[in-house]
Amino acid sequence: MATVVKVGSRRPARRGRLLPWLLIAPLVAFIALLSFYPTVATTVQAFFRVSPLDPPTRFNGLGNFRALFANSAVTTSWVNTVVYMVVGVAVSTVLGIAGAVTLRRRFRFRGIVLALVILPWALPAVDEAVIWNWMYDPNYGVVNSVLHSLHLIGGYHVYLGLDRWLTVVLIEIVQVWQMTPLSILIILAALQSISSDLYEAAEVDGASAWRSFRAVTLPLIRPAIAVAAVQSLVLSFNVFDQVYVMNGNAPLGSSLMLQTYLTTFQNLDFGGGYALSLTVTVATVLLSAAVIALIYRKPVAT
Amino acid sequence: MQVTRPRLAALRTRRPWAAAALAVSLLTAAACSAGGQQIGQNQAGGSAKSITVDMFYPSPPKSVLAEFTKQTGIKVQWVEIGYDDLQTKISSAASSNTYYADATDVDWSKVGEYAKTGWFLPMNQWFSPASLKSDVPQLGTFEVDGKLIGMPFDASFMVTTVNTKDFKAAGAAVPTTLTGLTAALKKLQAHGMATPLDIHLAAAEGLSTCWYQMTAAFGGQVLNEQDVPQFTSPGSPGYQAIAWMVNAYKSGLVAKGNIQETDYNGLTTEMAKNKVGAELCDYAGSVGSIYDVPSSSSVVSQVRYVPTPGAHGAGPNVANPDGIGIPKTAKDPASAAEFIKWFTSAQNQAMWSGLNGPADVIGGFPLPMRLSGLDLLAKSGKVPQAAELETLLREHAQAPFPQGAPSWYAQFSNAVYTNIHEAAAGQESVQQAVTNIANQASQLKASG
Repeated sequence: MATVVKVGSRRPARRGRLLPWLLIAPLVAFIALLSFYPTVATTVQAFFRVSPLDPPTRFNGLGNFRALFANSAVTTSWVNTVVYMVVGVAVSTVLGIAGAVTLRRRFRFRGIVLALVILPWALPAVDEAVIWNWMYDPNYGVVNSVLHSLHLIGGYHVYLGLDRWLTVVLIEIVQVWQMTPLSILIILAALQSISSDLYEAAEVDGASAWRSFRAVTLPLIRPAIAVAAVQSLVLSFNVFDQVYVMNGNAPLGSSLMLQTYLTTFQNLDFGGGYALSLTVTVATVLLSAAVIALIYRKPVAT
Repeated sequence: MQVTRPRLAALRTRRPWAAAALAVSLLTAAACSAGGQQIGQNQAGGSAKSITVDMFYPSPPKSVLAEFTKQTGIKVQWVEIGYDDLQTKISSAASSNTYYADATDVDWSKVGEYAKTGWFLPMNQWFSPASLKSDVPQLGTFEVDGKLIGMPFDASFMVTTVNTKDFKAAGAAVPTTLTGLTAALKKLQAHGMATPLDIHLAAAEGLSTCWYQMTAAFGGQVLNEQDVPQFTSPGSPGYQAIAWMVNAYKSGLVAKGNIQETDYNGLTTEMAKNKVGAELCDYAGSVGSIYDVPSSSSVVSQVRYVPTPGAHGAGPNVANPDGIGIPKTAKDPASAAEFIKWFTSAQNQAMWSGLNGPADVIGGFPLPMRLSGLDLLAKSGKVPQAAELETLLREHAQAPFPQGAPSWYAQFSNAVYTNIHEAAAGQESVQQAVTNIANQASQLKASG
């Protein structure tokens, strides 16, 4: 009798252990096919000379990487991308915190304001770049028009394509404009989960608003800040659409993803494209890990 | 109760299995039904053939395509894709040996690349280059070692357009030389037109093509038959062309905004809105399709094509026609060839340009690639200056690379437009730009 009970209770338990694996199997297969396999293939091919203009495919050692780092267009893209990333992550995260703190409070038309804030994130990046391109247009752009009507500039100026750093900054403004709404939403969600008891306790202890923000809010939203910063990092490190639309193929504001596109599909140097993709992937992973390590610490109990 | 419990427990444990099985079944069924539907469609179509045509032009009118289907039994699925996206699609699909279309774009600049990669089927088995050459002057651009890589489907070539009303008002004669053009443009400036000239200066393909045109106007070519740079000496036409273009920008003849205007339409809008009086790297067909359209132009009947102002008189017009070819992965090359024959017939070519009125026009289509098609248009009187265009095409159009575009053209062009753009933007000198372009060309040639 006891034996029967034992066998009967084990079978469902084994099934129960197997079931989760079975359920996630399609997802695992999906990720393996669309993510793992391409990653492995890219890593391997990065060490091969792969070009339909120069067959056959052959082992190239570190040749692709050496060629990339000897290419001034690639080094320019690296520097630009680092600027896009540093400025993008810093500004969008700070604005994200500020926006979330502002929107946490209940006020009239808050729902409408929230919907409007989300809009830049919801719009396709290409559309946004086209809109901002018009705004920067030297002949018809609203930027020139406004600055001219305020007597801040004497004549109409060309903003994109003449000066490297001005071009980078203007493209970055568009990117920050697109990334910030998601940062706001992520941090806002964390803010809303903080119990009001903590603020009341801080108030009882005589903490100022700033002290309350530093001692209560910031530690508790740190995980959300880490998530927001990492999503900004990934987006800004992989910036393509805005650069392509606003800067074209010019090296001035070029990014690593644009350079990867040009290497692969314009120059048909697939080996070089794989190598560049691999370096971008490694850099993104390392930087994301660094950001998480820096910000994402367990909240201290208060 | 005791009997019911085990049943319920069994059901509870089975439910997830049942759900998983159901999900798998649904997925399988969905996959099978999708495949089955495809097969079913083919079966329903009986012997009807179907081809996919990927182009960056809008589709011909559905009624006209339906007529082709009625005649041949071949159904055409026309997919319109932006030019750059289409080039990416062609290279990514071809390099992975994947089917994507039965017929697609073969740009003149890609001919050398496609000849080397073998991504397109030679079309000689369906078309006879020898018999076509007299009627299709740009056919040679698509031939490499006797193989016809693509069939030209328009006669795109660069022209100079001027606003004759503006020139007359400023007391400037329509120029025949570049010196005369500069003098005329200064008169236009003195008469109140701030920046009277349009040329491409943004880092995009249009700037490269414009340089080839200007080099031809100065009486030379960019590369010789062995693909050796011909523009390194300051007295060479290519060098002079860059210096002239950069100087035109820096001296204020060209609007400052041109440095970031990658879109050809942006430049033609300037002419259509009477912001400029001359455009040096305009496209044949722009007068009829842009400047004489009352709804969007304020210069109707004012803009005319003129012979290219050269260093010592009228210069050539650089031809950059678009072609259509059959990828090696095409499922039905024979039907694709039949479609291309129909699509490039003289009558249809004239129809795409407006022979039968606006209803049958392909939006943005420049001109028929067949002289016989252009002749039909000229006789119909429906296209402005069609006779002049026919003369330019017949007598002055020349390929930018008479030996054919090299297989490394894309990288070369990138160096061209990047460096001329940088020189115009003041980031480097003309000499530096020339040296960089020449070095890149030499490296590419050496690496094959």
